[in-house]
Amino acid sequence: MAKLIGLDKLANYFRVIKHNGGILGSIKTLLRTDDLKFGTLVGVDKLGNKYFENNLYFYGRNRWVVYHEKFGLNYDGSLVPSEWYGWLHYKTDYLPHEDPGRPKHKWMIQDWSENLSGSDKQYVPYGTTRTKVEGWTPPK
Amino acid sequence: MLSNLSRLASNVVRSNLRTLTTTQKLNHDALFVHRDTKDDNLDVKFEFTAENKKRAEAIVSIYPVGHERAALLPLLDLAQRQHGWLPISAMHHVADFLNLPKMRVYEVATFYTMYIRKPIGKYHLQLCTTTPCWLRNSDAILEVIKKKCNIEVGETSEDGLFTLSEVECLGACVNAPMIQINDDYYEDLEAKDMEQILDDLKAGKKPAPGPRNGRFASEPINGLTSLTTQPNKPGYKCRPDL
Amino acid sequence: MLRGPLTKALPCARILSPVKTLSTSAINNEKFEVFIDDKKVMVDPGTTVLQAAAMVGVEIPRFCYHERLSVAGNCRMCLVEVEKSAKPVAACAMPVMKGWRVKTNSEMTRRAREGVMEFLLVNHPLDCPICDQGGECDLQDQSMAFGSDRSRFTDIDHSGKRAVEDKDIGPLVKTIMTRCIHCTRCIRFASEVAGVDDLGTTGRGSDMQVGTYVEKLFLSELSGNVIDLCPVGALTSKPYSFTARPWETRKTESVDVLDAVGSNIIVSTRTGEVLRILPRLNEDINEEWLADKGRFAYDGLKRQRLLTPFVRNCQGQLIATEWEDALIAVAQKLQTSEIAGVVGSLADAESMVALKDLLNRLGSEDLYTEYPFPLEGSGTDLRSSYLLNNKIARVEDADLVLLIGTNPRFEAPLFNARLRKGYLTNELDVGYIGPKVDLRYDYEHLGESTDLIKQLASGSHAFSKKLACAKKPLIVVGADLLSRPDGAAILALVQQLAAKVTTDANVSSEWKVLNVLQKAASQVAALDLGYKPGTASIRDKKPKVLFLLGSDEGTISRGDVGQDCFIIYQGHHGDHGASIADAILPGAAYTEKQGTYVNTEGRAQQTLTAVSPPGLAREDWKIIRALSEIIGEKLPYDTLLEIRDRLGQVAPHLIRYGELEEANYAEQATELAKGVSSNLSSEPVDVKQKNLEDYYMTDPVSRASGTMAKCIQAVHKQKQSKYYEEAVN
Repeated sequence: MAKLIGLDKLANYFRVIKHNGGILGSIKTLLRTDDLKFGTLVGVDKLGNKYFENNLYFYGRNRWVVYHEKFGLNYDGSLVPSEWYGWLHYKTDYLPHEDPGRPKHKWMIQDWSENLSGSDKQYVPYGTTRTKVEGWTPPK
Repeated sequence: MLSNLSRLASNVVRSNLRTLTTTQKLNHDALFVHRDTKDDNLDVKFEFTAENKKRAEAIVSIYPVGHERAALLPLLDLAQRQHGWLPISAMHHVADFLNLPKMRVYEVATFYTMYIRKPIGKYHLQLCTTTPCWLRNSDAILEVIKKKCNIEVGETSEDGLFTLSEVECLGACVNAPMIQINDDYYEDLEAKDMEQILDDLKAGKKPAPGPRNGRFASEPINGLTSLTTQPNKPGYKCRPDL
Repeated sequence: MLRGPLTKALPCARILSPVKTLSTSAINNEKFEVFIDDKKVMVDPGTTVLQAAAMVGVEIPRFCYHERLSVAGNCRMCLVEVEKSAKPVAACAMPVMKGWRVKTNSEMTRRAREGVMEFLLVNHPLDCPICDQGGECDLQDQSMAFGSDRSRFTDIDHSGKRAVEDKDIGPLVKTIMTRCIHCTRCIRFASEVAGVDDLGTTGRGSDMQVGTYVEKLFLSELSGNVIDLCPVGALTSKPYSFTARPWETRKTESVDVLDAVGSNIIVSTRTGEVLRILPRLNEDINEEWLADKGRFAYDGLKRQRLLTPFVRNCQGQLIATEWEDALIAVAQKLQTSEIAGVVGSLADAESMVALKDLLNRLGSEDLYTEYPFPLEGSGTDLRSSYLLNNKIARVEDADLVLLIGTNPRFEAPLFNARLRKGYLTNELDVGYIGPKVDLRYDYEHLGESTDLIKQLASGSHAFSKKLACAKKPLIVVGADLLSRPDGAAILALVQQLAAKVTTDANVSSEWKVLNVLQKAASQVAALDLGYKPGTASIRDKKPKVLFLLGSDEGTISRGDVGQDCFIIYQGHHGDHGASIADAILPGAAYTEKQGTYVNTEGRAQQTLTAVSPPGLAREDWKIIRALSEIIGEKLPYDTLLEIRDRLGQVAPHLIRYGELEEANYAEQATELAKGVSSNLSSEPVDVKQKNLEDYYMTDPVSRASGTMAKCIQAVHKQKQSKYYEEAVN
């Protein structure tokens, strides 16, 4: 009956608000992530990003990450460490610390490095074609 | 086993032969660009001899003022006669003599086949092999020359005396077969005549030019067949009062 | 050299000569009627069938015929049927007779063309897909229009088509001689227009080939024109080879500025790159020819370019900066009135007027051009003193030309081509004062001494008689000669001489005897705008700031202005000017801006934007306009139209494009010149460009060009060759 008149939706709504730390917190989350969800915290990675799961949402939206506050609005997908990548992208259902078959190679425990795309340090492939116009370089 | 292999190999070769097509090379006997050679380069100096210079000036003086370039053909011929053939330096000399651009001289010298732009023997044997001469067995004459001088058409004999060319009609069909050796026509030839001419030339003698069968020129061999009598005097069959 | 005297000697050849307008040379001037495809046309006697057909708009196909060359009549493509004639006649060589009925579209004509086409194609390779002429090939077009749609050419035995070895005739013209159809246009051009008798036909019959016979390069300052003349792909452009198809390119009509003739050009571009430059028809200036520098130096537009502004930092190094920083740095230095401006040879009138306005607002009047010109007498106040007053095209009509201190062959190749045309067809005699040079036609060498001008002016020289007898005499003085310290005295003498010749020869007032041949494309416009010629006074004044607008000739150096002078260079190439500058503002080259140029005869023309300026480079007048705003002396024009209004205010003729503004007051100039006090020096008359290798690199664009460097190499190589000939003169 409660389901019929949508009371569960209302309940979920309050859970979401509560999960995000009240009304102010919800507004803040909405600003940062454009999304409001609630779920169980399943783990925190070494950068402090929090991973949540709630199977109430449909597959594909039921696992998510909330980046650490220190990143502010300046976050991107490269902030997910490699050990959490598989769980977040449904490659595996095991959490990193629960996964029994996870190989442990040296290269896998690399430190995270920032994605430089869009900055002046970004990688640009060099061209092999000659420039159409050769510039003058002042004599030293 | 081995025979199989060889058959296989020959098959491969044959099938490749069928697919391999090349274009036939069309080589002319003369080259129409100049290439420096040992005999023909600018270091070979050419200048008219004093005598020829006088001749050249006489030739030029025939032509009206402003049209001296018309003397180009005779002057090139003169140069060729002096040198035996026409090297590039002779062309240049003629060009300078007439104050012509060199290219205009090259044009003329390459156009006419009688200007010979590569070294040639002392005697240029130009054998006619066009139809009338050929019908009168010029092939036999050709064989004699080839054998006697040990040369093919277009070659010069080892002693540097003879160069053999096959030429088209020289306009002496009545006296076929015939050969032109330098400026002289030797006509009504038979194989033995040719041999004798070559022997004479080798010996340094100059055989008499003209028909070899006793004719004076191109008259019938057994005396005249027409016009045997004197023409009638004036007044023939006229009224006496006229 | 040779064909000239021949045509000179034969009066009838001149009637047939297509170069000449027939109406003037024909003996009988009565027109008669002929019928071309039943259309009536009145023609002069001596008109050829082809010309008569052209009058009624019937175009007869041709390969060997060209309006500006002698008639060869060897391609046979122009065969047409003439009523009551058993055989078709070659329209290009056959003068029409009264009442002829020519049928250009009959069965006989059609079959004749098909036959000729078939024979041409039998020995023409089928390599159109890899041929650079593809798309602009006369043979292609005419085989589509007039050829048969079937081929009888079968090569079942692979006996092969005719093949001819390629010739190496220089770094500009690529030859694929197998494609040659023996029209002999290139030979006739070389012999008649260029005056270089190096091309000819060798051999005969099917072995005939066009070439040089010996290993020799076809080196001429006009050699590129044979590429345009070649109706097939036998002669193509080497720098342009395998670059583009004509239908892919965008064509922009423009003006060549690498000499002062102002040849009209078409700039072909694709993807923001200049691919080639072709001549554009202009009967008054370049006819349809173009000199090699204007045609091939375009690769210099892509090298040594200034792509960003540069400012010299405290370590003394030029550092690439943004426009904002550069303009502010320059603006700070410009807060003084001790500024001098120098404009170079490639500057357009817009930027020159903007620079002049800016410097005037800042309180400076020191605006100079690179090339000096005598200021004594009338100076540059009267245009007649520095213009080629008699028009380039009218040189052909002259019967006596006296060249003083100029080598027109290299300073203005197309002007020299006109002189040669006059020499061949109009009994033009040439006298020459200066060092012995090869002009490609015979001239009477008077000597090198400046004294000769004096003798001529006083009438004591033998040549004076000739000048007095001439009906249409011309005196052409080189701008270089007038830039000497005693230029004023020379100009005064020459003006005196011109005045004397004018009265002696009793020429009409239309005919201007005195002509000055300029070398720089910007010079006339600069003088018209009120720039002062020469940079000598800068050395005395030692300004605090020197603004170089594309001046690269090295007439002013760092040593002339001192270390503490701030030098600003605005231009498009890293050349002499940029290397001494403290701040560099990258401008646009002539293909990249819409600019006004005035040629040596005083004709204003404009270039159009073919490509956008590379990198951060901008149009020159816009840079100066932006600079003025930062300084706080904002110039009152924001668009091209507004700055052209300003140009019109200063000198109205500068914006009457294509029109020639004649100069008057030559008499007054002569009067003023009488007051010249400076003395003639005894230094002999000299010209800077004596040999062909001096021709190719004269300005920042051609100095940056690899093609021009190759040309100079080729000339040196040619001189090593045994087949190289020194000039006959």
